[in-house]
Amino acid sequence: MKRHKLLVVEDDTEIREALVELLEEQGCDVVGASNGERALAWLRSTEALPCLILLDLMMPVMDGHAFREAQCQDPALANIPVVVVSAYRDVQGNAEKLNAASFIKKPPRLEDLVSAIAQHC
Amino acid sequence: MSIGHHPVQPSPERAPEPEAPRQREERYRLAIQSVKDYAIFMLDPEGRVQTWNSGAESIKGYLADEIVGHSLSRFYTPEDVADGRPQRLLSIAVRDGRVEDEGWRVRKDGTRFWADVVITSLWDESGKLYGFSKVTRDLTERRAAEEALRQSEQRFRLLIQSVKDYAIFMLDPQGHVATWNAGAMNIKGYAPEEIIGQHFSRFYLPEEVADGKCDRELEVAAAEGRFEEEGWRVRKDGTRFWANVVIQPMRDLDGRIIGFAKVTRDLTDKRNAEAERLRLAQAQEAIRLRDEFLSIASHELKTPLSAIQLQLQSLLHGSQVLEPKLRNKAERAYRGGERLTQLVEALLDVSRIASGRLVLSPERFDLTKSVDDLVDRFREQAAKEGCELTFRGGEPVTGEWDRLRVEQVLTNLLSNALKYAAGTPVELTVRAEGDTAVLTVSDRGPGVPETERARIFGRFERAVSMSHFGGMGLGLYVARQITEAHGGTIGIEEVEPRGARFIVTLPRTPRPAAPGASEGVEVSS
Repeated sequence: MKRHKLLVVEDDTEIREALVELLEEQGCDVVGASNGERALAWLRSTEALPCLILLDLMMPVMDGHAFREAQCQDPALANIPVVVVSAYRDVQGNAEKLNAASFIKKPPRLEDLVSAIAQHC
Repeated sequence: MSIGHHPVQPSPERAPEPEAPRQREERYRLAIQSVKDYAIFMLDPEGRVQTWNSGAESIKGYLADEIVGHSLSRFYTPEDVADGRPQRLLSIAVRDGRVEDEGWRVRKDGTRFWADVVITSLWDESGKLYGFSKVTRDLTERRAAEEALRQSEQRFRLLIQSVKDYAIFMLDPQGHVATWNAGAMNIKGYAPEEIIGQHFSRFYLPEEVADGKCDRELEVAAAEGRFEEEGWRVRKDGTRFWANVVIQPMRDLDGRIIGFAKVTRDLTDKRNAEAERLRLAQAQEAIRLRDEFLSIASHELKTPLSAIQLQLQSLLHGSQVLEPKLRNKAERAYRGGERLTQLVEALLDVSRIASGRLVLSPERFDLTKSVDDLVDRFREQAAKEGCELTFRGGEPVTGEWDRLRVEQVLTNLLSNALKYAAGTPVELTVRAEGDTAVLTVSDRGPGVPETERARIFGRFERAVSMSHFGGMGLGLYVARQITEAHGGTIGIEEVEPRGARFIVTLPRTPRPAAPGASEGVEVSS
C-alpha cells in the first residue's frame, strides 16, 4: 500500500496524538496540527501536500469552518479533500455546509477512517 | 279691591290684610300687568276670567278682550274638562285657600303646554268668596329638559345594570353597598337583596379586613380622588378571585362626599393565563437549557471517549501482536466504549424527541443493502452473545428515509434482541408490501408478555426488572419515535413456540407522521 500523507487538525492533544499514532500504524505519513491556523501555516510551507485532511470543527484560534473557508480560497489547497471528524450531533449537516468529502462521528472507528482514506486518497 | 291670601275659613291666624292705599294698588296692577313670564289673572267665583296680563297673553295666546268673561275651562284639555278638573281645582282652592297643579294646558291655537298653576281663593272682609287669582307658568321647556334628564339617567342606570363583565356599584360614605349591577352579581355571587346595605368589607380577605384595608381604600379615594389596585377578593361562596378594583368618591355640589363608585373586574382568567404563559416560557427555557447542557455534555463526554477508543484501536490493530488474553481485554474495553458512545447519543436523542426537535434528513436508499451492511457489522457481537444472526432479504427495497435514523432503529432492535435473547438465533427480514417497506427482527428469547407490549416503547420502560438487566431502556422508545416520525409503525408479536418479533413498517415515500403519533417531529427539506 502506498504511503498516504494525511493532515489531522484537532485541538485535543490526546485525540490528535492517538489519531496520528493509529494512522501511522496503518502505514500513513501523518502530520498533526492543533488548530486551523497552524494547519494552514504547515500546508503553505510544506512541499508535499497531504492527500486528505481530517478536520475537527470546534477548535481555538481558528476553528474548522474558518479553516475550510481559508483553504477553499487558496487555489493551491482548495482541492485537498476534507473529512470532518467531530463530536457535533449534526456532524452530517456541518459537513454538508462545509462541502466536505464526508464525515466521521467521534469517537472515530478505525474502519471508517480506513475506508475514508481508501475512498479519497 | 284687594289681592291677598284668604285661608281656609275660619282661620284666625290668617286674618285678611288691611286695605292698601289706592296708589300702591295701582303700582301692583301695573307691575302684574307687565309680568311676561307668568300668566297672572283673576277669576270670578264661578271661574270666569276677570283680568288678563301680558304674561297670560303671551303664554296662552288670547288677547284680553277675547278671553275676559270666559270660563277657565278654555285653558284645559277636553279630557280634563270632561273629568271636571277645572271646577275641582277651584273647589280645592276654596277649601284649602290655594291649590297648585302641574299639567297640560291648551293655548288659543290649540297647542298644548306643560303648566305649573297656582290658584288662590280671594275673600272679602266679610268672608265672602270674592274670586280667585291664578298664576300660570309655562314649564314645557323645563319639563322637556327634566324628561330628557330622566330618560338619560334611566338609560345610564339600565346600562350600568346590564353590564355583566364589570361589577359597578355604589357605596355610601361609610362603605355600605347602595346599588348592585348584573356584573357585580356575576362576579361576586350576591343577589342585590343579599348585599345592598352590607359593608363592602365582605369582599375582602379576613386578614385584610382586620388590617383596616377597606377604610384605608376609602380614605385614599377620598383624599386623592381615586384608588386603584389589583388583589385577591372573596366571592359569596368563599372562593377567591383576582380583581382589578377602582374606587372613586362621588361628591355633591358643595364637595361633600355622598358615596363612592366602585368598579371591580375579575382578572382571574387573565392572571391564570399569564401565569400559564410564564410557566410555559419557563418550561421551554428549562428544556432549552437541558438540551444545551446535554449537547455540551455529550460533546465533552465524547472527547475523552475518542481518545480512549483511538488508543484501544491502536492497541488492537497496531503493529505489535497482542497475547490473546490482553487482546481480549482490549476488545472488551473497546466494546464498552462503543456502548458508552451509544448511550451518550441516546441521551441527546431522547431530549430532542421529547422537545419536538428530531429533524429528519430523508434520502433515497436501498433498505435491503443497508440492513445487510448493518448485519455484517453486528456479526461479531452476535457471535459473542451466542446468537446466530441471519438476514433473509432478496430484492432491493428502496425508499426515502433518513438513513442514519433508520440504521439507528435497526441498531436498537438488534441490540435489544442480542441483549434479551442471548444464546438464541436472531433473524432479520426486509420486504416490500406495495408502497410500504416491512422490516422484522425476530428472536427466540423469553418474549414480551402481552400486558407489557404497549409499554415497552415508552420512555424508560423495560419488560424485565431493573435488577436483571442494565442499560437505560431508551432504545425502543427512540426506535418508535423515529419510525413514527417517518409516518411508519412499530409493533411486536409473539413467535411460536418462544420469542418476540418486532415489526417496523416504513412508507417508501415521505408521509407526515400521524397526528399525535410522535411527540413532535420536523422533517427537514
